[in-house]
Amino acid sequence: MPRIDAHLHVFTKASPEFPRETSDVWPPEREEPVEKLLGEMEKNQIDQAVLVQMAGTSLDEHRYLLQCLKDYPNRFLGIGLIPQGHPNPAEHMAQLTDSTGIIGFRLSTFGGPRDIFAKMDVSEFETYPIWQYAAEHDCVLWLYPQAIEAHLLPYLIRAFPQVRVVLNHLAMTPGKGKFSWDELGRPQIQVTSYNLAMHTTYRLARFENVTVHLSGQYAFSKEGFPYQDLAGWHRNLFNDFGPKRLMWATDFPWILEDPGYDKLTTIIEKLLPNLSEPELADIMGGNAKRFLRFPDL
Amino acid sequence: MILPTPEQKEQWEEEGYLVFENAIQGEDLKRLQSAFDYWADACKEDWLDRVEAGDAAATFYDIPSPFEKDSIFIDIVDYSSYYGALMEFTDHDLIILAPQVRTVAPWPVSYTGWHPDVPQSNPLHIKVQIYVNDVAPGCGEFAFVPRSHKPGAGPYTRPLRQESMPGHKTFSGKAGTAIMFNSYGWHVSMDNASDVPRKSIILIYEKRTPGRIGPEQFASIASNCQTPERRKLFSLGD
Repeated sequence: MPRIDAHLHVFTKASPEFPRETSDVWPPEREEPVEKLLGEMEKNQIDQAVLVQMAGTSLDEHRYLLQCLKDYPNRFLGIGLIPQGHPNPAEHMAQLTDSTGIIGFRLSTFGGPRDIFAKMDVSEFETYPIWQYAAEHDCVLWLYPQAIEAHLLPYLIRAFPQVRVVLNHLAMTPGKGKFSWDELGRPQIQVTSYNLAMHTTYRLARFENVTVHLSGQYAFSKEGFPYQDLAGWHRNLFNDFGPKRLMWATDFPWILEDPGYDKLTTIIEKLLPNLSEPELADIMGGNAKRFLRFPDL
Repeated sequence: MILPTPEQKEQWEEEGYLVFENAIQGEDLKRLQSAFDYWADACKEDWLDRVEAGDAAATFYDIPSPFEKDSIFIDIVDYSSYYGALMEFTDHDLIILAPQVRTVAPWPVSYTGWHPDVPQSNPLHIKVQIYVNDVAPGCGEFAFVPRSHKPGAGPYTRPLRQESMPGHKTFSGKAGTAIMFNSYGWHVSMDNASDVPRKSIILIYEKRTPGRIGPEQFASIASNCQTPERRKLFSLGD
């Protein structure tokens, strides 16, 4: 069974050939190229991976991702981004998924009522056309919802049961103002000690088309690797979603310095030590291969 | 104090729950509903802000510090309909741990899965859930697995669908119904397919153990706790 890293980012230096957004954390001269990733994968016997567009939603800003997918068609699948408020998201999605290796799109907002007590009509949600396109064209939706929108998800999932959904980073839903970067250039998300996702995203386990990434531990944990304070979250996710709907991922490149790619390839064994060998193999790649339809190597 | 009948005592021991229909009624129920609605409305925007900040769950909310907001929330802690049973089951050594004055939104999925609250090693832990509005079947009613509170019961696992839990019993009821249950037992809120929120109050009690609750916990409502019994119930000391 292949070992698949189900969520990570690669980017190259900003250039006319490969334009991209820049920031203090990813200045124009910084690069975390696919060749560097392949080196880590080789060292750690990881066979395939999902490349997720990091930032920059325009078609041009997807050029590097598209190039990587073209260069290594059997190794990678891609997840793109959609400009918020795009007047014709279907056109954008069609252009990016036309035999490119991009299989879906990442969303963090859904554009529905902030108040769960409001009347819910999914056809009025701003992202309804995106979900509709995904349903009609078999795209995967890659979700990292804002806390204030987590309650909208079951309405969309119920309306589009054929859409494959992947909840990113332990199905967490970051709160407004709780995101920062640490001294190692890693995203940090401040969360409550009581895991509120148990009352929102974990409840989506009922829907068979929903899976969850076991990733991003460094961003939520108050401890160092192996982030034992999150062992309970992993157990709960395992109990709710089962061994067939969890996918291991590293969130490369943010983890390269601490804890390092190699250590993260062992995190599932450390946080879920009672897994059987087949269960571990599923989480480490089998589920991603089946659910995301990775090509045979 | 209304002590439980032998039949109620047997059901409590064997099944792990008791239902008190019309436990709160008449003017007391109206007072409770009025206070609940007023404070739930007053606290809602702040809750939504906390949801946005990632500090509160999006699927339900509790009125913060309800004992300080209206004395009816204190008065139901030792309400005569069920207080005698609580005292009897804890050998007359009962403390209140916390109230949850809770509004649960209608949502395609229940806000929680099947679970017990505490392990058998915990002192006897009892909850009383009081419906503030009518809760019809399929509207987020409480459910419990009878006998799941007993040592050695189970093992139980959490099914994906609430209705798939073997042997469970659901409890729809009129406003004013109180359901008392042993929190060692597996319980849940069923799905709410209606467009009506479930309004209820969950009172959490325990058999007293030294130091479990300090006198500072409910010091702010000491003036509402003038009798020795109430001071003991709220761990306020002599």
